[in-house]
Amino acid sequence: MHAFGNHIFDPPPGAQALRSEVRAFIAANVVGVPPARRTNCWSTSDPAFSRKLGAAGFIGMVWPKAYGGHARHPLERYIVIEELLAGGAPVGAHWIADRQTGPLILKYGTEEQRQKYLLGMARGEIFACIGLSEPGAGSDLASISTKARRTKDGWIITGQKIWTSGAHMAHVMLALVRSEAGSQRHSGLSQFLIDMDLPGITIRPIIDLVGDHHFNEVFFNDVVVPDAMLIGVEGDGWAQATAELALERSGPERYLSSHVLLAAMIDFAGRDPEPGIAAVIGKLTAELWTLRQMSMSVAATLAAGDDPMVGAAMVKDLGNSYEQALPLAIQAGLDCVELSEKGDMIEMLASLLQTSPSFSLRGGTREILRGIIARGLDLR
Amino acid sequence: MVCDTARVLFAKAAGVDFDQSWPLVAEAGFSGLLVAEEDGGFGGDWGDFYAVMRLVGTHALALPVGEDMLAAHLITNAGLSRPVGAFSVAAKTIGTLDGARFTGTMAPVPWGRHVDHVVGLTNGTLLVVEARHAEIVHASNPAGDPMDRLVLDSAPVIHGPITTDLWLLAALQRTAQIAGALDHILELSIVHANTRIQFGKPLARFQAVQQNLALLAIEAGAVNCAGRAAAGALTRDCDRDQAALEIASAKLRANMAVGVGTSIAHQVHGAIGFTQDFSLHRYTRRLIGWRSDYGNDLYWAQRLGKMAAGYDGAGLWDEITRRSDAI
Repeated sequence: MHAFGNHIFDPPPGAQALRSEVRAFIAANVVGVPPARRTNCWSTSDPAFSRKLGAAGFIGMVWPKAYGGHARHPLERYIVIEELLAGGAPVGAHWIADRQTGPLILKYGTEEQRQKYLLGMARGEIFACIGLSEPGAGSDLASISTKARRTKDGWIITGQKIWTSGAHMAHVMLALVRSEAGSQRHSGLSQFLIDMDLPGITIRPIIDLVGDHHFNEVFFNDVVVPDAMLIGVEGDGWAQATAELALERSGPERYLSSHVLLAAMIDFAGRDPEPGIAAVIGKLTAELWTLRQMSMSVAATLAAGDDPMVGAAMVKDLGNSYEQALPLAIQAGLDCVELSEKGDMIEMLASLLQTSPSFSLRGGTREILRGIIARGLDLR
Repeated sequence: MVCDTARVLFAKAAGVDFDQSWPLVAEAGFSGLLVAEEDGGFGGDWGDFYAVMRLVGTHALALPVGEDMLAAHLITNAGLSRPVGAFSVAAKTIGTLDGARFTGTMAPVPWGRHVDHVVGLTNGTLLVVEARHAEIVHASNPAGDPMDRLVLDSAPVIHGPITTDLWLLAALQRTAQIAGALDHILELSIVHANTRIQFGKPLARFQAVQQNLALLAIEAGAVNCAGRAAAGALTRDCDRDQAALEIASAKLRANMAVGVGTSIAHQVHGAIGFTQDFSLHRYTRRLIGWRSDYGNDLYWAQRLGKMAAGYDGAGLWDEITRRSDAI
């Protein structure tokens, strides 16, 4: 039995040069970002940074040139995003568009949809949000009740999404809604590209426990969406959305959210740490190195066109556990850390101790992921 | 190819007494796996070694297959000619070399009482001693496999200079065995959960059981992925340091997985898994021993931690990525 896939990540030619390019970009453009905002940096939005990144050719890297992309290899994109995350770059604004909305539009979208969104996304100017969760549909996503009703003028959308990260900055939402009246569970769902400036959309902020604004409630009050903005096949929304989730689950952001803290802690401890601290660093390093191998293996699986559903769930679950355990291990293992003090390491630590519980909630809870893995194990 | 042979052979040899099983394996010639073709070996790489040792773990094969392969590799590396017979390797060799005679101890030596020769490394010197020249003190690992102590008093040895870090190679060996055994106890646990009925349904239907088995699968997956990557890194050995960063990471991660993996497998199996008759203990008791062999968690955590701290914060990431880019 092989619990995990067997794909090997063969670094593309020029990998080191590409890393150097990204590191130079970070050194030049990530300056003066407060320590806490460098943690969990794919939730830190900076539209100006995203535009610069787009101009440098680091968004939509694998998309065809005709749609503003750069026709690079998927593993080149992997290298760029792991460098951005390890460097704590504020990539939150364009993250969703680059990771999943853009690829989904490429896969299922019409020519009109591709032209409308992809060029701006690749420039780092059009941002996307994901309309999945609803008040009655969290982990139980198939309970979605937001409705789309077909009329001669297009579709009329009515209902509510919640926990929508970045809705207040996004230009478009990729929403999963019930397009067949009376349908149940996974059937009768369709995906729509909904421009966020359409009449009838209300966005209300939800402030998170540390006072940041990432989440929103989004209300749709008879919003008219043109027929041309249904994406993919009417009624196939569930399959399209779950395929999208595999892209969401295996990337390096699933184990690197706390990485800047490890780097800061190593600097804090010095080149010759006492044995107890060395052991903490060593254990975290072993986990980091192993997760990177796993994430790269899943990236190679995706690049080969195979389905990494179970492997991706494993990377996300183990990666989340690691990025949550990292601040706890540092808090527990370092002598005389006073959380009220200033400094890169302490401020990152204080931030992550509070925000890291969310890492195993977003993008599929730990329990949901283990359920997916269990199904993959052929438990009957 | 070598894996197909190993799979068939190890299935046949597992659980059979040393005297009957060892000749089967020796005849197949695994000892030459890591020896270059021009020196009469197979010319295999560390990926081949890893794959074979993973199968040793999958079958809980109680034979010094890995030690025999490593001994041949070390002897050839030291420029010595390889005597005929079965070999083992001593984890630690302490004593003094006086001309071609050695006085000291070699321990622990897996299957020391069964093999013809034992290889040990001390102060940059590789020693090969005939076991018949040693007083052999019997000891064993938790699974009952021999882990003997050889006491040598002015015993004749052949020797040569060597720069190899034995523990890195042996840690990769144990990582491979842990990877194979974890995959196997996962398989046993799935079969048991699917067939054992309680409260009118298979255990596999209970969410609590499913979540634990998912965790076991993740641990097995992590070790298999890490071990294979470390073996690949050792074959490339781009920094000529025996892939120290990668093997330290893989062995430490494997050690961590032993604790979680064995406890979940036993929890899922319930009382039946605690019996001599049921095969689970053949794996879990060896896994428990392998965690301590060639560096427990603390040993590798401190060694790797010092390495990482030496690179500094940003340097650690540079180092991890640079080494895997260098293919």
